[in-house]
Amino acid sequence: MARGPVRASAIPTILTTLCRSASVNQKFHSPSLLRLATFIPMLRFITSRLLQSLLALFLVITATFFMIRFVPGGPFTAEKAVTPEILRNLEAHYGLDKPLWRQYLDYLGRLGHGDLGPSFKYPNRTVNEIIADKVPVSAELGLLSLGVALIIGITLGTFAAIRRNSWIDYLASTVGMTGISIPSFVVGPLLVLGLAIHAGWFNASGWYGPADRVLPCLVLGFAYAAPISRLTRGGLLEVLNQDFIRTARAKGASEFRVITRHALRGGLLPVVSFLGPAVAGILTGSFVIETIFQIPGIGREFVNSATNRDYTLVLGTVILYAVLIMALNLVVDILQAWLNPKVRLET
Amino acid sequence: MRGIVGLAALATLLFAASCQPPERTAIIAPQILRVSNRNEPSDLDPAKATLPDEFAILRTILEGLLTPGPTGRPPLPGLATHFELSPDGLIYTFHLRTEATWSDGVPLGAPQLVAAYQRLLTPATAAPKANVFFPVKNARAFVSGDLHDFSAVGLRATGPHTLVVTLEKPTPRFPHYVASGPWLPVRTDLVARYGRNWTRAENFAGNGAFTLAEWRADQRIIVRKNPRWHGAQHVRLEEIHFMRFDSGDTEERAYRAGQIDATMSVPSSKVEVYARERPLELHRAPMIETRYLSFNTLRPPLDRTSVRRALALALDRQKLVEHVLRGGQPATGRLVPPALREPGELTALPPEHHYDPATARKLLAEAGYDPKKFPRLEICGWSASQVAILEAIQAMWRQELGLEITITIREAKVHLSTLAAGDYDIAFITAIPDVADAAELLGDYVTAAPENYPHWHHPSFDAQITAARQHPDRATRAGHLFTAERQLLEEAPLSPLYFNSKIWLMSPRLRGWEEDGLWSRNYHTVYFSENK
Repeated sequence: MARGPVRASAIPTILTTLCRSASVNQKFHSPSLLRLATFIPMLRFITSRLLQSLLALFLVITATFFMIRFVPGGPFTAEKAVTPEILRNLEAHYGLDKPLWRQYLDYLGRLGHGDLGPSFKYPNRTVNEIIADKVPVSAELGLLSLGVALIIGITLGTFAAIRRNSWIDYLASTVGMTGISIPSFVVGPLLVLGLAIHAGWFNASGWYGPADRVLPCLVLGFAYAAPISRLTRGGLLEVLNQDFIRTARAKGASEFRVITRHALRGGLLPVVSFLGPAVAGILTGSFVIETIFQIPGIGREFVNSATNRDYTLVLGTVILYAVLIMALNLVVDILQAWLNPKVRLET
Repeated sequence: MRGIVGLAALATLLFAASCQPPERTAIIAPQILRVSNRNEPSDLDPAKATLPDEFAILRTILEGLLTPGPTGRPPLPGLATHFELSPDGLIYTFHLRTEATWSDGVPLGAPQLVAAYQRLLTPATAAPKANVFFPVKNARAFVSGDLHDFSAVGLRATGPHTLVVTLEKPTPRFPHYVASGPWLPVRTDLVARYGRNWTRAENFAGNGAFTLAEWRADQRIIVRKNPRWHGAQHVRLEEIHFMRFDSGDTEERAYRAGQIDATMSVPSSKVEVYARERPLELHRAPMIETRYLSFNTLRPPLDRTSVRRALALALDRQKLVEHVLRGGQPATGRLVPPALREPGELTALPPEHHYDPATARKLLAEAGYDPKKFPRLEICGWSASQVAILEAIQAMWRQELGLEITITIREAKVHLSTLAAGDYDIAFITAIPDVADAAELLGDYVTAAPENYPHWHHPSFDAQITAARQHPDRATRAGHLFTAERQLLEEAPLSPLYFNSKIWLMSPRLRGWEEDGLWSRNYHTVYFSENK
């Protein structure tokens, strides 16, 4: 999500005035004032982004609510059609007999209290319960995969950058291209075939013991390691040519110190900006992995709820993902501002 | 540099640490059956479940008055040891086992059954399958809310172990209705105490051969042998694990890795490999399920019988099943599967829907249609896996009749709702009755029935079905149904293609597995043998 321009009308005037003076007038000498000068634009930035996100969330909820209702077929459309009197009972039971605008207002009212409603497909569970049950699974899968992606990606990228045009560099770019071009629904079954069915080291699917985490996290992590390795390599190469690196070397810093202390901090900037969309992608895009490995996560629920026309579950998962993506983008922007002071003042 | 080597070493270590010997999801101990489950049950409540595979799980933990017999055979005794039928065919008296108890030790009597059925039929419960109670006197009126007094419904406990069911009209196959899933008993006191949470393993009490031990949503359901069940001494399985699988490929891989003992299906691309390499593990069973083409009779030129019949006659069904499906499904020119026919009934194929391209061309010409000027029709299905069969049909119509037909695949619920709305030309669809009764299957095509997808209207057909439903005599009833089916095929609002069959993989050590044709089986007879 692109950073939008700050809307002055959206924030208290007094803060705006302060901010303007802070960012325009750069002649601060006292350190505390300087800290204030960098803090206030940040606050202004965060407030404005939060307000924008709330508006976007409202629009997403409204659009999803009406779009899912206009899709042909309903939660009770089944291969074996129900008789008219039973359909009437079902609609009355779930309040679908009321006018659509009424249902929309009822939904918003319940949402205000944090209630995402009952599931249409699973009568003994509420949407809140389903999300609470499934999100930790997807989060675990996502975080472990992200760890795998970062470890493989940054290691390979760093080696490739400091040994440019050596075999390590070529290996890293080969691995990178493989990761980008082979989809996980091919890598997944291949790994299962080799490591689960033939070698018998792992279960082919399931999410029961710690060993069940290995294959899915490797497959999902591998797909994201590729871009991370390329970004690390690119970022490091750019930084390694700069003067301050030469200075660090001239001062006698070890190569390890030069890379980890000086070069990586700047060199990882592109990786950090990629992390926002990547985390969102790993969490929302886990549908394929969840299906291949039969993992009870929220990604599968997201897709299946649309197929089942489970209206409340569709809305619940959409709200969850919308909030997640907005929050992640905000966090990335703040992180970037923290890593690179230039970004801060550009807001 | 050393640091980076260290980093790499750490990564390797982390990976190695994660590669400890795996914890198998279940040990292959004797008598623990791990079976694939392809649909997460919406609920383990007979008043909420709709799918055959949901009822298949429910039947392990709940036992109805009668239980389904193997394909094509009458239901077997269950909670009721026997029943009597009044001479007018209207009153069934079921005698319950006097020693029957629930899994928590509470005695089970007829009044509890009536309470369970009352709950299911109450409009506020909104049971999607309440229609299998409709043969019972006033059940339909009670469900629709026209009748508020439940004592007027034909369900009555006349003693602690006697249940009397009065019917609307004679229904010779009524035992099959009683053996259907929604007739499974539930503990209404538990429903009242726990509300929607009564089906959680910790709250549940059943009366089946097994009892609910664990339900991890979207992962597995474990049921354990119920020592209080009347036939417990003959049950050899200790546990059944219903393992959840979304995709047929994942399921097949889990079977190959030894994680499950029986699958629900076999990916069609792998049927031939298994037949060749592991024939002992590949099983087939006929299903009470007819796949057919529905013609939208509201749309020209499909509003003309001769056009519909021409299309039906141009199809070589044998070729379809042998060269396209290749799963051993029997081709058919009839709608009613053999399992729903009365013993001794004629099974000869009426001449209407066999392969006869010459007559097909003649019919089309007589109807005044030049193939070149024939409107471009569309045939639709609901799954990408059906493209092959639809393409074969498209090719046959092009080759035999010179017609150009387009193929469309829609998402399943979109497909069903366009069919119900009559917004299609030709559709590939499946017919599965709720109950093993031909009247139930054919009854879907009476005027304005919810599943009358051809939107067909034929008073004489309606009259045959009504007559069949009212006649107590089996032979006369079968005669009416036979005539009705013949009329349906002559008028061809639909054209049957093949009877579906279940194809699955199963451990060669499993014994006593019998399918009922409607995706159910009795697990209490299943066991592992030492030998293959």
